[in-house]
Amino acid sequence: MASSTSSASRSLSLAHPARTLLRSAALRAAAPHPHPHPQAPSLPPCRRSISSSSSSCSPCPSPSRPRPLPSSSSFRSTLAEQRRYKAKTVEEARSRNRTGPFSWKAGVLFVATGAALVWYFEHEKQRMQRKRVAEATKGVGKPQVGGEFHLVDHEGRPFDSGELRGRYSLVYFGFTHCPDICPEELDKMARMYDLVEAERPGAVKPVFITCDPARDDPATLKSYLAEFHKGFLGLTGTYEDIRDVCKAYRVYFSTPKDVKPGQDYLVDHSIYFYLMDPEGDFVEALGRQHSPEQAAKVILDHVKDWRGGWRR
Amino acid sequence: MGFFGFYTSDDEKRKEEVRTGARAPDRTERKQCWDARDSYFRCLDSQNVIDALGPTGRKQAEKHCAAEGRAFDQNCAAAWVTYFKKSRVAEFKKKATLQRIEREQAGKVAVRGPGDAPAATR
Repeated sequence: MASSTSSASRSLSLAHPARTLLRSAALRAAAPHPHPHPQAPSLPPCRRSISSSSSSCSPCPSPSRPRPLPSSSSFRSTLAEQRRYKAKTVEEARSRNRTGPFSWKAGVLFVATGAALVWYFEHEKQRMQRKRVAEATKGVGKPQVGGEFHLVDHEGRPFDSGELRGRYSLVYFGFTHCPDICPEELDKMARMYDLVEAERPGAVKPVFITCDPARDDPATLKSYLAEFHKGFLGLTGTYEDIRDVCKAYRVYFSTPKDVKPGQDYLVDHSIYFYLMDPEGDFVEALGRQHSPEQAAKVILDHVKDWRGGWRR
Repeated sequence: MGFFGFYTSDDEKRKEEVRTGARAPDRTERKQCWDARDSYFRCLDSQNVIDALGPTGRKQAEKHCAAEGRAFDQNCAAAWVTYFKKSRVAEFKKKATLQRIEREQAGKVAVRGPGDAPAATR
C-alpha cells in the first residue's frame, strides 16, 4: 500500500516537468502545420492531446481520483513518511532504475521455471507415448498377442501362464540348436534382465519358450539356459501346445511335425522379445535394433508406469 | 571318429553328436564353430568366393580352402554349415541391394508403427 501511494505521489511530482515537455513537443508538432484549427487556442488542444494520448499519465487530477491534496500538517507527515521509505529502499530504487523490473533473482526464477516446464512437458509427452503403446493392445475381449498356455518348465513341472501374473514378463521364442541369432539375443536378454533387476528386483520374469519341442526337453533347456542366466525360465511342451502358444504370440515358426530321431534341421522363427504386462497383456515388442541398455530403459519405463497390482 | 558305434573318447562322441545335430552345442562349442566359420569365410573372401555351395564356388573353395573347410565341418553341426554358407550369400545380396539403393539416391523413409520403440529410446 505504501509503495502505491508513494508512486502515485511521485508521478504527481513528476507531472509538472513532464507536462511542459509534452506540451512543447505538441507545440512543435503543431507549428509546421499550415492550417491549424482556427478556433483552437494554443493551450487547450495541447491539453486535450495530452489527455487523449495518455490518460494514465494525465497531469490533471482526473475525476476518478477525487482525493484532495493533503493538508499542510498531513502533507508534512506523508513527506516524512516518504523520506523514511525512500531512505530504506534507496538501493532497491537505484537498481530498479538501472535494470527495470528485472533482477538476477527474477532471471534465475524465470530460467528455472522455464526449464522445469520444458522438462515436465517432455516427461509427460514420453509417458503418454508409452501409455499409448501399452494401451494400443489393451482392449475389450480377446488379447491380440499372447494368452493362456499350459506348458512344462525346465525342471519338468507343469507350468501355467497364470504363474506369470503380477509381474512383467519378457518372452522370447527360440531353440537350443539355433546357430547364431538366438544365442546372441539370449546374451542380450541376460544383460537386459540384469539391468532391470538392478533397479526393480522381481519386476520382470524372463521366459524362453522353445519352438523345437521334439529336441528341447526340460533337461536340455535347463543346461542350455543356465549358460545365459540362472534366472531364465525355460518352457517346452507337446508339439500341439507349442504350436498353439506360437500362434497366440503371432510367432512364425517352421518346425517339422514328424522328425525322425537323429535328423538334423533348423527352425525359422520370429526373433522378438515380447514384453507382457502383469495382467498378461502384450505391451511392446523389442527387436534386434535395441541395445540391451535401450531395451532395459524401455522395460523400466513401462514398469514405473504400471499402476496395477504387483505380486507380493 | 565313430567306428561301428564305438568312439575313441567321450569328447569325440560329443563332437560327433553335435555334428549330427543330436545334441545342441554349448557356449564353448558354439564359439569354436563360429571361429572355424570366420576363418573359412576369410579364406573365401581372399579367393573372391561368395557362394561356396554353387558349382564354381564349390570347386574354388575345395581347391584353396580345403583345410579351413574341414575345420568348419568338424566344429559345426552339418545343418549349421549349410545355414552359414547360405546366409553368407544372403548377406552379400542384401549388402549389394542396399548399395544399389544408395547409389540410386533413394531417401530413407522412417516407417513407424505401434510396435516401434518410442522415439526417446532410439
